[in-house]
Amino acid sequence: MPVAKSIRKKLEMSHLRIGILGAGLIGRLMALQLSSDYEVTLFDSDEQAATQSPAYLAAAMLAPVAESVETSPTLMQMGQRSLQLWPELLAQLDEPVFFQQAGSLILAFEQDSAHLVDFARHLKGDEGEDFVRINAARLAELEPELAAQSKPFKHRLFLPHEGQLDNRQLLAALASTLNARGVIWHAHTPAEIREDRVWSNAKPYDFDRIIDCRGLGAKAQIPAGQRLRGVRGEVLRLYAPDVTLNRPVRLMHPRYPLYIAPKENHHFVVGATQIESEDTRQPTVRSALELLSACFSVHKGFAEAEIIQFASGLRPALADNEPRIWVKDHLIQINGLFRHGYLLAPVIVEQCVALVNGKAEDLPNYPNLIEKL
Amino acid sequence: MSNTKPLNIYGTELNSRLLIGSALYPSPQVMQDSIRHSGAQVVTLSLSRQNPQANGGASFWEMIQSLGLHLLPNTAGCHSTQEAVNMAKMSRELFQTDWIKLELVGDDYNLQPDPIELVKATEILLNDGFKVLPYCTDDLVIARHLVELGCKVIMPWGSPIGTGKGLLNPYALQAIRDRFPEITLIVDSGIGKPSHAIQAMEMGVDAILLNTAVAHAHEPVKMAQAFAKAIEAGRLAHEAGPMNERSTAIPSTPTLDQPFWHQINYG
Repeated sequence: MPVAKSIRKKLEMSHLRIGILGAGLIGRLMALQLSSDYEVTLFDSDEQAATQSPAYLAAAMLAPVAESVETSPTLMQMGQRSLQLWPELLAQLDEPVFFQQAGSLILAFEQDSAHLVDFARHLKGDEGEDFVRINAARLAELEPELAAQSKPFKHRLFLPHEGQLDNRQLLAALASTLNARGVIWHAHTPAEIREDRVWSNAKPYDFDRIIDCRGLGAKAQIPAGQRLRGVRGEVLRLYAPDVTLNRPVRLMHPRYPLYIAPKENHHFVVGATQIESEDTRQPTVRSALELLSACFSVHKGFAEAEIIQFASGLRPALADNEPRIWVKDHLIQINGLFRHGYLLAPVIVEQCVALVNGKAEDLPNYPNLIEKL
Repeated sequence: MSNTKPLNIYGTELNSRLLIGSALYPSPQVMQDSIRHSGAQVVTLSLSRQNPQANGGASFWEMIQSLGLHLLPNTAGCHSTQEAVNMAKMSRELFQTDWIKLELVGDDYNLQPDPIELVKATEILLNDGFKVLPYCTDDLVIARHLVELGCKVIMPWGSPIGTGKGLLNPYALQAIRDRFPEITLIVDSGIGKPSHAIQAMEMGVDAILLNTAVAHAHEPVKMAQAFAKAIEAGRLAHEAGPMNERSTAIPSTPTLDQPFWHQINYG
């Protein structure tokens, strides 16, 4: 392309006005990646702290291999690429965000060993590379406090490449970076899409591209034939000065996957129930008993931990529990991140930015992810 | 479809002898596909922990209802008669069916049914017009109590829920089968492999109810098909009447020129 034409093209592009509905994890990251080139406006029913978003509640583990037990191989590949993309994204923020890639552990007590065997059988990675069986001595090197517990773990898997980040630091850092960049942010402002325009408070807004990242908020507006549902999860946040863990730990549990994700300064996220219900009540006693007793069984130091928060939320999920990007003219809709928001966000955003830039063919192609309507 | 006799559940005749659960699948899509491929005409579902009072599980239940099969709600997770009766009534209202799989947990770790609470709850629900399908252990006397109360179907375990250990006590199941030939006998729980299902069906069990064996298979849809074939094969075998075991070999091709006393080690 001649230089003059190329500059003109760039000028035209830079005048693209982009409206993003939903300022949870995906909406914010999308705004981050698009605001360097375009004029971006965010609409969100929540406040900037995002306390109503599932992204606020999540443990933000980046565990493509552990999650592969119930996902397609494609989703695992997307998660592995996302792990590589996270550091680049975090480097753009004007505040530090806790991020680590020190692996994760899967542990089982004697009575639940069959669950761990089953779990290992369903892992999609390669044994030796993506996951390894470790002995008690290796556990003692990785997590001395766990190895010193009175009730020993009989079975242990180490997934060396897995990571995690601090989701609340991230959401705050994204907000401050976007504000500093001059992104227009309509907080406490629900919006919907009608006739290719964004409508909010009975007022229409025109954009060159509209990106819908509302999760369950878009339930009434997803393409025909798709079914979006909420899947309830209950999550604890603990402050446990007596406990030091170096990486996320999953405990095999007969009912659902239970994890303890250590954040900075002895803060821990413990979750998560997974209930096929759109029940929005506060967490139940049964869930509290199960999560806390499992936590205590892993490390007795949790006995005196402070319960900072115990909250429930709904994860947006499609029928196959995998995400989808629908493209129709100038509208891009993203949904169905389920329990994999942080795991997949970088790849989802990368694909959408490429769609906006018309460069999707330069990226890895993930079957069934993008659907053109 | 084979020409075996239909399965009878309180007067409803069904061609498939597999009843299948809707929990534990990797996703609702896999659940729907597996159930379709199983050929099952009855699907069980649970209300527990979903806040049914507020219709919390509606989105998920719709995906089960869209299969167009007979629904068999269960009382999974209930420990007391009162809890189970309440949940049964809620299920009847939500799903417009008087069928109930009555399940009362007696032990939290192996989910062994509580036989005493079960008998109490069965009586209350039968009197209230429910068609009760009680999940019980393989105890003959408990089975007799349930039958005397008026149950037309009883569902003893093969082994505890989700263990996949198959039939731990075939003798006890055979005793129930022989003593109550008119009752519809369904083995519920513990079936791990199609061979377990065949074994039960050959014994004369009328049907199999399972969930984990399909949902936790590597390829649930394929496993659903495997179970459908196994259960049909087992039933055909039962109706056909298996031969008796013998301790001496009998050639299937007549070898008239080789009398048995020519065997070297004979005698």
